[in-house]
Amino acid sequence: MEFIGELIRRLRMLRHRGQLDSDLEEEIRLHVELREQQLIDRGLTAVDARRAARLRLGNATRIKEKSHMEWMSEIISDFTQDVAYGARALLRSRALTFVAVISLALGIGANAAIFSLLDAVLLRSLPVKDPGQLVLLGTGSDDGIGNNIVNTDLYSYPFYRELQKRNQVFTDVAAIFSMTDSVHGFVVSKTDQVSTDSEIMHVALVSGTYFPMLGVHADMGRMLNEEDDSAEGTHPVAVISQSFWERAFNRDPDIVGREVKLGSAVFHIVGVAPHEFFGTKVGELPDIWVPTSMTKYVPPGWDFYSKNFTQCLNIIGRLKPGVSMLTATSNVNLLLQQITKGFSDADLNQKNLYKLNRAHVSLTPMANGLSSIRHEFSEPLQILMGVVVLVLLIACANIGNLLLARSTARARELAVRQALGARRSRLIRQLLTESLVLALGGGAIGIGLGAVAIRFLLRMVSGGSETIPVSAGLDLRVLGFTLVVTLATALLFGTVPAFRATRLHLSDSLKDGRGPSATSARNSLAKALVIAQVSLSLVLMVGAQLFLRTLVNLNNIDPGFNREGVLRLNVDAQFTGMKDDDPRLNAMFQQIEARVNALPGVKAASFSAFTFREGSWSEAMLVPGMPGNENNGVHQNVVGDRYFATMKIPLLAGRTFNEGDTATSQHVAVISEHIAKTLFPPGNPIGSHFKIPDNNQQVDYQVIGIVKDVKFSDLRENTKNINYLSYRQRPWSFGDFEVRYSGDFSAVSHAVQQAIHSVNRNLPIMNVTTLDEQVARTMTNQRLVAQISGFFGILAAFLSCIGIYSLMSYTADEQMKSVSALRWVPDDPTFVGWSYAKRWCLSQQVLSSVFRSHCWAVT
Amino acid sequence: MTALIRVGKSSKTERDEIPPGTLYLLILKTVAVNGRLHGYEIAEGIQRASDDVLQVEEGSLYPALQRMLVKGWVTAEWGVTAGNRRARYYTLTPSGRKQLQAEISQFERVMGAIARVVQTA
Repeated sequence: MEFIGELIRRLRMLRHRGQLDSDLEEEIRLHVELREQQLIDRGLTAVDARRAARLRLGNATRIKEKSHMEWMSEIISDFTQDVAYGARALLRSRALTFVAVISLALGIGANAAIFSLLDAVLLRSLPVKDPGQLVLLGTGSDDGIGNNIVNTDLYSYPFYRELQKRNQVFTDVAAIFSMTDSVHGFVVSKTDQVSTDSEIMHVALVSGTYFPMLGVHADMGRMLNEEDDSAEGTHPVAVISQSFWERAFNRDPDIVGREVKLGSAVFHIVGVAPHEFFGTKVGELPDIWVPTSMTKYVPPGWDFYSKNFTQCLNIIGRLKPGVSMLTATSNVNLLLQQITKGFSDADLNQKNLYKLNRAHVSLTPMANGLSSIRHEFSEPLQILMGVVVLVLLIACANIGNLLLARSTARARELAVRQALGARRSRLIRQLLTESLVLALGGGAIGIGLGAVAIRFLLRMVSGGSETIPVSAGLDLRVLGFTLVVTLATALLFGTVPAFRATRLHLSDSLKDGRGPSATSARNSLAKALVIAQVSLSLVLMVGAQLFLRTLVNLNNIDPGFNREGVLRLNVDAQFTGMKDDDPRLNAMFQQIEARVNALPGVKAASFSAFTFREGSWSEAMLVPGMPGNENNGVHQNVVGDRYFATMKIPLLAGRTFNEGDTATSQHVAVISEHIAKTLFPPGNPIGSHFKIPDNNQQVDYQVIGIVKDVKFSDLRENTKNINYLSYRQRPWSFGDFEVRYSGDFSAVSHAVQQAIHSVNRNLPIMNVTTLDEQVARTMTNQRLVAQISGFFGILAAFLSCIGIYSLMSYTADEQMKSVSALRWVPDDPTFVGWSYAKRWCLSQQVLSSVFRSHCWAVT
Repeated sequence: MTALIRVGKSSKTERDEIPPGTLYLLILKTVAVNGRLHGYEIAEGIQRASDDVLQVEEGSLYPALQRMLVKGWVTAEWGVTAGNRRARYYTLTPSGRKQLQAEISQFERVMGAIARVVQTA
């Protein structure tokens, strides 16, 4: 109690040091003056009295210094002394220090790394003005572009404008196109030369209100404003991110006024966004922000600016002060009905009205930003956070144990110091300082490890060539978190041993620590710690096994196609500037397919709209005579002739596409087994017709074949309806190209790319990888969790082994003391051996039970 | 704590070494008797009470007072002297009173012991 009061007084004084000085000065002045007066009264002259009074007081500065020291000294001098002593003591037992610091560093580093990711993905607020006031209309779970009567997650541009005008709850509203376009664009040099090499640029389309509403100001130049977004196609301006400024312009100070060419349009750069601003979507960093008014000029040229019912925007509002979420929600929902019904081209048939009446917009707080990766990674990150906290706990238990074991060795030293008059509290402080030194050492190395681990983790999470641009790193928040964790660990593993070590029976300890009572208590504590450690690491190991099992199970799911031996890549056909239905585009694809198919080592090659988990295009399949199928949303895949051969999707009946299926012949389709079962009347569907509403007209197709079902977007999904069309009949500007090959991947990859460039020299090729890799990437989460928890499970087991070892060596130490006595017992040398063996058996039992449970977990 | 007290030069007594640490005892006692004193009054009080034998070394008085503030034995507050000057007044706290008792009993024990040793001669 006294100590705490003293500490509080000292700390309070620390904050008022100037006060202490001025108080002292005034006190001393008064003192000297009073003394002077006294001396004058005794008859001295004023000058003499003054001198004498000063002399008697001595050096005023020294008094002040000494007074300061009274407040400060004990803590600081004790602390530095303790640190120095602690460091020396730790260096004396190098092995222990090494093990302790390394296990701490691993634990703390892992915590820092995972926390940094968790913080970046889940916790951190957007770097904008008052992020707490921002709300998103809808849940943010949807992105894309579609034509519907209503969509509660995505909105049309005219709707955004109406909402902006008519709402009563937001100070302002902003809209962002829900997808970030990846465009192969060109940098225009200062001499107006368009660079010959294209580069990939991530373009975000935002309303003019976006930056003003967020309160984001340009580092250079200006951000976009309402003027830029006032009329369609009139303001080819762009704001670029800091990283793009660095990457593409080499931090050119005269950036304002320079140009980039996207598609056929040239955009003037008007400003550079601040460094910390990454947009409003965590996990995506746009290179360029362009006003929505320019949407038609940014490839692929989405046309939504004036379409009342083309929903594709996320809308963010800034709540007026004092407006509750409830009020805002009801206002937005009222307006949703009014605005939608108010559009002149609203098709208010009974079905649409029913849909509209049931639509309800929920508002989502936007303080942390939108994120597609949050949904995906929040759970694994939370699991991993739990795992690394457990590992740190194990490391703490371990170090606590080691310190406990060491305190036996130090019992004598501590006893001597206590006998010499050291207070127990002082010794505890000394031991805690040692723990702190240990923890800080571990923390320092841990931060280094963490910095490496973050990069490693990000690569693992991203699972591809491009790292997810989340700003995870060692910022102040992470460092603060690490410091708190470090201090907490020091307290956790240091306190109990410190209290134990100083609770001594002096005379026993001085006699070489032969006291029975204290040591046996310590022994049971050590055992308890080891048991805690073993059980915690068991939890981790079992968890890791389960995660691994999930991964293995996922990997064993048959996707319906053959993952092995397929090269896949993307080409950017939009780059050519040709429209989807341009016959030249179609011809180019056919030419590429022909050339690649002719390559040695290539078994089959084909373009396709999708392969696996690449989004989808869904349309209804209208089968005559089957009711209620306007909304059956069948996934449509547009493919080349040899797609089924390339993917090894088995044909069950009929035929696949061939050269006979041309733009002018009867449109044909290959349907999946599931479609045949669910959407067609019983009997053989081959030869029957159905219609697809495509671009406002119903196109007639004839079924020519049935193929086996495949997984389309997730390995764990239920069987989906997939319909295949030929690109000769339904033009598509492709991205995906698949090649089934044999032999060396890099040789084939090289040959394929050369063949593509021999057809069109400028066609950009991206994401060259294998199909297997692409499928595996969809298991990134499970792999991440399994690998990391596996790694830490092994680490935990290793730490537990050290724990058991230290318990063993500790008890052996105890034993030694009795050995020296027993050695004098004749004819019984086996006794000592037996007692060692007994303990060895005990630890074997513990170990084997651990391994047995591991085996149980595996099976 | 080195010798903080020196025997007054003005007196006729000889200079002897004074047991270290007694400055606190003297300050505590003086403040306890008078209730509320500022630094100069404490110095003067000790001198007066010891019939001018003990003279406080003023350079040590103020750091000692600071230490007693740290320990919570005294509290300080600004007040006005009889001569209408601003001065910092020290008062004993309950913990200071306890400390005084402890110091007195320790002092008596030591002095008694020394006296006994001296008298056995």
